[in-house]
Amino acid sequence: MTAVHQFVPALLPRDATGDHTVALRDALRSEGWESDIYVEAAHEELRDEAAYFEAYPGRARPGDVLLYQLGTSSPVAEFLLGREEPLVLDYHNVTPESYYVGWETHTSDKVALARRQVAALAPRAVLGIADSAFNARELADLGCPATEVVPILVDLDPDGAQVDQAERHRLAAQHGDATVLLFVGRLSPNKCHERLVGALWTYRRLYDPDARLHLVGPSVTPVYAAAVLAFAAELGLADAVQHRAGLTAGELAAWYEDADVFVCLSRHEGFCIPLLESMQAGTPIVAFDAGAVGETLGDAGLLLRSDRPATVAAAVDRVHRDRVLASRLVAAGHRRLEDFTAASTRRRFVEVLGRVADRTRVVA
Amino acid sequence: MTPDVPGPGADPPSDASERIRYLDDVMAEIDAEVRRRRASGDLPAGLEAELDELFLEFSPVGLQGRARLRETLALVDGSAYVDIAVPTASNKAVGSYVKRLIRKGLGWYMNFVVAQIVKFAWSVSRMFHVVVDHVEALEAAVETHRSPDLPADAIPVPDPATAWWTAAAIEAVRGVPDRVLVADCGDGTLLGALCSAGVDAYGVDPSDLVLEPALARGLDVRSEGTIDHLRVVAGEALGGMVLTGSLQWLRPNEREQLLELLTTRLVVGGTLVLHSTTPEGWAASVSPVVRDLAPGRPLHAETWAHLLGSRGFAVADPVAGGGDRTLAHVGPEAADAGTVNSAIDVLNELLLGPTEYLVVATRER
Repeated sequence: MTAVHQFVPALLPRDATGDHTVALRDALRSEGWESDIYVEAAHEELRDEAAYFEAYPGRARPGDVLLYQLGTSSPVAEFLLGREEPLVLDYHNVTPESYYVGWETHTSDKVALARRQVAALAPRAVLGIADSAFNARELADLGCPATEVVPILVDLDPDGAQVDQAERHRLAAQHGDATVLLFVGRLSPNKCHERLVGALWTYRRLYDPDARLHLVGPSVTPVYAAAVLAFAAELGLADAVQHRAGLTAGELAAWYEDADVFVCLSRHEGFCIPLLESMQAGTPIVAFDAGAVGETLGDAGLLLRSDRPATVAAAVDRVHRDRVLASRLVAAGHRRLEDFTAASTRRRFVEVLGRVADRTRVVA
Repeated sequence: MTPDVPGPGADPPSDASERIRYLDDVMAEIDAEVRRRRASGDLPAGLEAELDELFLEFSPVGLQGRARLRETLALVDGSAYVDIAVPTASNKAVGSYVKRLIRKGLGWYMNFVVAQIVKFAWSVSRMFHVVVDHVEALEAAVETHRSPDLPADAIPVPDPATAWWTAAAIEAVRGVPDRVLVADCGDGTLLGALCSAGVDAYGVDPSDLVLEPALARGLDVRSEGTIDHLRVVAGEALGGMVLTGSLQWLRPNEREQLLELLTTRLVVGGTLVLHSTTPEGWAASVSPVVRDLAPGRPLHAETWAHLLGSRGFAVADPVAGGGDRTLAHVGPEAADAGTVNSAIDVLNELLLGPTEYLVVATRER
């Protein structure tokens, strides 16, 4: 029987990698394959879904294929380097340490270690699966012998997520007719929230003095988050910039639906799931072309070559005022989502991993 | 709020290529809108640079040396005080009353605990003050061992308007999709030429005075040294860099820092254009005082090519140019013309020849 077992540093609920890992395990099992999850740590809610990674050697069988969900540093990487089984990397990207230098030493050390681990694992793997061509290029540059681009498994309902209507009404009452710019993503230097604040300031100066910026995401780099909010306050935007974290799925859907334009000015993204969420919510997108943003977005948004505040403000204004453009972008977003359906992604994973497993059986 | 505007096309484009053309048209209109806003004065020159600089004031990476230490210390001092007067305002009728009750009831307890926390925090703050005082004393001692600064007018500054390498530099970065940094941009002559060529370029220069003409022309310039600026630029944020000017005066440690920053700030595939004086040309053009006191020396083009190549750059063959001090051959009628011309060839090769060079490199990894 085909057996593909996944290894992941941390299995967390409501987390992109965690959801992807569990969904992929279920997809592989539904094909009649053996598939278990091994972790360094698991959240209490998912404790029964996974085993500690060091338990694997006692359960290993000939013909096993090991799949590593790689997005951060972990002792699991060192463990896998010592295993003989064919190794497949599912690479979700690691933010370069340069973004954290000066902000948070422990984070920059952690991502530097993760990058060293990617460099060590890439040549050892039989295949690298990457969410995007951008990530695949990184793996290939590090010596991975073969790569395939298969997006992360995101279960987006084409009819839209269930919106928390109470939250939606609360938001609408709060800001009235003001233009609302939204960005969803952790507060981290590579996401360039300060550029969003600068763009809001410029937009208010040139187009709508009441405009607001809604930021949703955890403050994983607290020093950076504090600097962004202090910067906003210095510009007189303390009340216009609202930051929230820990939203439920329904609340998040309400924040997407409430926004006029989703704006992404990240300098480094390996895939950018919020772009898909925004497409699902029907919120038009303005994004700076960096990392994998361009390939995830396709023609479903305005892709900017410059992230300068004046350009971003002008683009937001255009999308907000030009209803024809906005509706075209939203329609393009719905078309683009069809490239990322969970069913097609599951099929691609089964096909790609099936080929590795077949080769392994032939060799065995 | 501005009124709704129609899009460039009336009906939704049907196929992919039409959709791309449609979005290209929209982007062109957005660029035109930005240019119009700049020209009208709605966006004063330097405004965007001011925003960047303002954010740096809140960032630990934006402060350098003593300013960073003192600023951080001020943050410690500011947060060492703990306010026990918890706000009691509430949206609910009884909320405020309940909060006041809790504050009053727990006041004696909070006072006791907070007094100890504040005492600890002030002790830590005091310790940091002592450390910073010592660090500053050490820095002052180290300062006395630094090389003396050179008079500014001792450094020859080529005029990019007439320089032999300007056209080649523009050509090298033409079409680069990301921003291009012009180091030591001076009055903005080269920067302006790059912008006119459609390059999204901006400049830095450590001298406010030198930058004034560039600011007056509405160019995007910042008053900063090249290395200080690159330190705060995000990784892989630049599509190209044009380095000239103070490059040839860098101390060895500064040169190492610059090389490290070049390899992390340029995108893979990004273009580096480097203009410098040859060591021989430099020695001939500056006074003995400058030669003796200069903290650094220019490198040969081959050395830059080697340093960049070892850091993952593909380097094109350097191009020589500038003032050519080559000696001409004597005529065949002169006595011992053959011997004299051979000697001239040796002199030309070793000491004379073109005084400047241009290196173009592409980051490959």
